[in-house]
Amino acid sequence: MRSFISRLLPQGEGAVKATPLSLQALTTAAIILPGLIQPVSHAAEEDSADFQYSHYQEGKRDISGMILNPSTLTLNASKLLQNLNPIEVDSLHGSTRISITDRVKFAFNYTQDSWSGATPAGTAPVAAQKNVPQYASKDSNTGLGIGAITGASPYARDGSYLFMDKNLNLYSLIVDRATGALSPGLKNNQLTHVLAAASPETRKQGDFKLSYEWDEAAATVGGGISIENDYESRFVNLGGRMDFNRKQTTVNMGLSYTNSDTFATLDPDSIAFISTDSYEQLPSEVEGEGIGEEGGQSAPSQFHNIAGSPAQIDSTYDSLGKRTGAVLRGNRQDWGTQLSLTQVLNKDALLELGLGYTRSTGFLANPYKLVYRATATFLAGSPSNELASLTDISGVIEKRPDERNQFNWSLGYDQYIEPFDAALHFDYHFAHDDWGINAHTFETDWVQPLGAGWTVIPRVRYYSQDAAEFYTPFLKIVQVLDPSTGLTVASSLDRPQPDNFSSDQRLSGFGTLSGGVTIAKQFAKGIQLETGFEYYTHQGGLKIGGGGEQDFADYDYWVANAALKVNLGALGLGSSRHDGHSDHGDHHHSNSPAGIMFDHTLKQAGDMMVGYRYMHSEQAGDMLLGSQTVSPDTVRFNGCGDQECQISPNFMVMNMHMLDLMYAPTDWLTLMLMPQWMDMDMAMTPLNNDPKQGHNHGGDVHSHQTGGIGDTGVYALFKLFEQSGHHVNLSLGGTAPTGDVDITLRKTHTNKGTGIPIHFGMQLGSGTWDFKPSLTYTGESDRFSWGAQITGTKRLESHNKSGFAFGDIFQGSVWGGYQWTNWLSTTVRGVYTQQGKIRGGYPTLNQTFTDGSSISTPYPYSNHVGPFDFPANYGGQFVDLGLGVNVSIPSGTFAGNTLKFEWLQPIRTDYNGYQLERDGALAATWSYGF
Amino acid sequence: MSESYCLLLGAIIIALVACTPVQPWGRGNLAKPQMALDPYPLQSALREHNYGSREAAAGGNAAQGGGCGCY
Repeated sequence: MRSFISRLLPQGEGAVKATPLSLQALTTAAIILPGLIQPVSHAAEEDSADFQYSHYQEGKRDISGMILNPSTLTLNASKLLQNLNPIEVDSLHGSTRISITDRVKFAFNYTQDSWSGATPAGTAPVAAQKNVPQYASKDSNTGLGIGAITGASPYARDGSYLFMDKNLNLYSLIVDRATGALSPGLKNNQLTHVLAAASPETRKQGDFKLSYEWDEAAATVGGGISIENDYESRFVNLGGRMDFNRKQTTVNMGLSYTNSDTFATLDPDSIAFISTDSYEQLPSEVEGEGIGEEGGQSAPSQFHNIAGSPAQIDSTYDSLGKRTGAVLRGNRQDWGTQLSLTQVLNKDALLELGLGYTRSTGFLANPYKLVYRATATFLAGSPSNELASLTDISGVIEKRPDERNQFNWSLGYDQYIEPFDAALHFDYHFAHDDWGINAHTFETDWVQPLGAGWTVIPRVRYYSQDAAEFYTPFLKIVQVLDPSTGLTVASSLDRPQPDNFSSDQRLSGFGTLSGGVTIAKQFAKGIQLETGFEYYTHQGGLKIGGGGEQDFADYDYWVANAALKVNLGALGLGSSRHDGHSDHGDHHHSNSPAGIMFDHTLKQAGDMMVGYRYMHSEQAGDMLLGSQTVSPDTVRFNGCGDQECQISPNFMVMNMHMLDLMYAPTDWLTLMLMPQWMDMDMAMTPLNNDPKQGHNHGGDVHSHQTGGIGDTGVYALFKLFEQSGHHVNLSLGGTAPTGDVDITLRKTHTNKGTGIPIHFGMQLGSGTWDFKPSLTYTGESDRFSWGAQITGTKRLESHNKSGFAFGDIFQGSVWGGYQWTNWLSTTVRGVYTQQGKIRGGYPTLNQTFTDGSSISTPYPYSNHVGPFDFPANYGGQFVDLGLGVNVSIPSGTFAGNTLKFEWLQPIRTDYNGYQLERDGALAATWSYGF
Repeated sequence: MSESYCLLLGAIIIALVACTPVQPWGRGNLAKPQMALDPYPLQSALREHNYGSREAAAGGNAAQGGGCGCY
């Protein structure tokens, strides 16, 4: 779940007056249950460390709207160009599984997903004109859009723009050219999604599993937590396995519990336009409660939560009683239980049967999903062909039952295919729940070993589900009035508002078909590489038995992934390991601090090393100009060039995850590949307390997040000099610009432009090819070690594709270390860093109109700025003190593993311009040489 | 539950009864990595996470991902 917020364009075009609506972007509410049972594996799990990266890319969704023919003034339904980027997700996964004893195993997983893009907020009739076409230009005489359609904006509008007959058919609108009168036009029941886009956000999850194994049984206990801006989920699970019948039969049992909190900030831009009456009401709507009972002016406009509702909305109001912010809070709990049985059928076949039950209670809806709703009023006794005008077609936050019971049955079959030495897997799942959804999944794959460690796995999957009982793409409410009294009367036409309603496409009826291939290569020494690709299509027409949702809801995606698996057990048996165990001067066990890279090379040709490197840095506290603390007002009036700063950072955190892959083709050369993943989070506070100007997203503080793949490093390390106790290494190489530098913020009330780039420092890469040489000297004698390094970053291009280049960097380090025992040493380091300011900047926005006029707007395109929007406020000179601990495991199962930690404490900071005080940085590394 | 599922269940029970004993030394094929119930757990976890956040049925599988998976 994320606080997806929609884009809203306030320039209404066309003949029909529009009321702008900023839709909270709806993301899907399909909550994945994290705690669901993790069955104990059938096979003995080996000690391992795994890394996986994946990229998910959704295709653009079709949207439709009404296009005005300026000469005839008729509106025609048409597909619109959709210029929002679809959903895109970068996921990073790392896990490790180790044997603490022969019988006790421990596994830890870390996952993070960063995503952004547009997804359906709701669904509306095309004729309701919720997607308003944007044109390349405007006719200066009529004010109507002309030329090519460049996109579409979501709108809410009141007034009568749609008609409905007594059979619930919809009719579009005709405007009489002469009189301007509105009348029903052609029947048109076509529906369309209304999309909303989001700024990037990141989810992080950590979980563990501890297991104890007997000869014919095992027990596990696990737990974890998943954290997002607006959703937090905690889970625990228990599992058990028993083998019977000489291990021909295995029974797995599991029990899990998940507790999740939603705290969704409703988009302050759209809160005035969408209805929250699923969860709260104005006092005037509550029976028996008078208006203004408290005597104050503000009381009538303050919402009350509906008693017994699974979610509540906490609002803030300004002194005039206008709502300035709203946060929806809800809690859900999920209990899951699962039983499965695995049976050896014969020497070539296995069968697995499973049974599961999940009970969910609490707030099960998605706080960002809307249902478009309209009320048709007919008069009692009117002719059967009477058309009612639909007024006030607007979005209401969806509402789902606060309980769900879901049952699952599964069947899995594995067959060994002797002639091909291959395995065929077939799985079937059936799910049934009390929301009215029955779902079937058929999945099959073929695992084909090809020799030389290669395996290829083609797979195909088909899924089909019914719609939930309360799914409705568009909520049609019908009431009948007595023409004489004006009061509602009972009628067979009556359609009251249902208790629950959702337009979430994943509760609709549909089918999906997906297929892909995985290729795996097993190397010697326990290393396995895997890569996979999958394409997935979701279509109403693929539903079993037909009757699925119309094709407006169809979409597709692809996912590509790559994984590295290191089998620690196999490594321990590796050929060249033995001499390394006893050699504490071994380069694998370099005693340099964790923050130092490129300090060691591999010992001899054929050696490999796998490592993981993590860096975390924080900024918080006061704003500095150079090295001096300055007041918020100083920043406000001086920190943003000619403009007045509206916001200022008060917290910034950056995390980098790096894989460190080293290989020595010859004794004197080591090659190094270093892919990186970044995520950043910056909290900002308004400098100006005017709520209309504050970039406050409904609160005093808001944050921006980015995350995903960073720049990729490729280096060659040379041994220049090596003699007893003294080593000099030269590293030449650099980074390729694989990290994004064109991440944009969603459009909001305060960010009206299209695609405003996020602050320079929150892009994921440099965008330039960077040369990064370094020269390192290390020495050791007895228990002491020491070293010095100079390293630099030279941008090889004057600007990246977004128009800027970060400043060059020079860094020098000197350190010393002392080895206390054969496994523990500590280090002290002094670091000097100098970085230049940003060169260039985001390009000036040029807009040209048909009347010949043009506007050039320099970045940041609006007055809503902070110091981080200005290139001069980057870089500086820094001195840090590093304190480190290194742990090398000399013998036993984990021999060859090294763990290092270093805390960098800022000693002196001299910034270029106005920047947020540094709090410190942590570096941690794990490496394994073999 | 419709009758077809009961039939399916019945067929499964018959299949179980019909299985032939396999001695530990006769299980070479079953022990091959390609015959693991989930030979590529990293990838299957990723796929289940994607399916789980786009489909109403959790699938009855062990979902390993948490959070809303709302993208």
